[in-house]
Amino acid sequence: MDLRRAKNRLLSRVLARFPSLVDRWARGRSFARDGEAGPWAPLTKPLAACRVALVTTGGVHLRSQPPFDMANPDGDPTFREIPSGAPRGELVITHDYYDHRDAGLDLNVVFPLDRLEELARKGRIMGPAPLHLGFMGHVDGPLVERLVRETAPAAARRLAGTGADVALLTPA
Amino acid sequence: MQRAVEAAGIPTVSVSIVKEITLQVRPPRAVFLHWPLGHPLGEPGRPAQQRQVLLDALGLLETATAPGTLLEPGYPWKRHRYEGE
Repeated sequence: MDLRRAKNRLLSRVLARFPSLVDRWARGRSFARDGEAGPWAPLTKPLAACRVALVTTGGVHLRSQPPFDMANPDGDPTFREIPSGAPRGELVITHDYYDHRDAGLDLNVVFPLDRLEELARKGRIMGPAPLHLGFMGHVDGPLVERLVRETAPAAARRLAGTGADVALLTPA
Repeated sequence: MQRAVEAAGIPTVSVSIVKEITLQVRPPRAVFLHWPLGHPLGEPGRPAQQRQVLLDALGLLETATAPGTLLEPGYPWKRHRYEGE
């Protein structure tokens, strides 16, 4: 493993231990493109009739898919499609920018597919959506523009086209 | 990202663990938990905790009436008993 990746992983462990450091870091940066409240899609049917899609930035993908780009310091704006029926052993995490040792022990910490299935058995939701999306949350520099202009709308269209009624987003 | 999905007509809710980013981005609906990065649903092997966060988030889809709704359940990290534990 090269030195830069080792440094990123070490930093991620420090930040996981000290949430106040994360807040301080975030205050010095700008994440919003405008101060406006965004679009609004109201819930139009009961939750019990909804299929829930998961969208995580925790670097989750299938073992058979290309891992996220850890070599580019600006990150990776692409996403991976994860079908609901994917064998749990096929789900892996590629992400050097947060401490995912706990998520590695129990993926529900960032990608609660098992919990969604339980809620479906109890009738609280109709079920997990057929398709979920995995992103790697570190995207910086010129790739931010690509994420906003290309990847995010494409991801949204994909969810809408595959029968997701609502989406739960879990950042890492 | 959340805005793009919402703009496609799909109601969204996020679990946030960095309040500063949430306040800047103003997602349509979010549950904020002051927990360590990498743990939006909580701890590994604590399904009751994970379930509670999930129910809080999904519940917000039913109760929120305006964009920018932020729910802060205030569960302390590790020191809280959840229903079913």
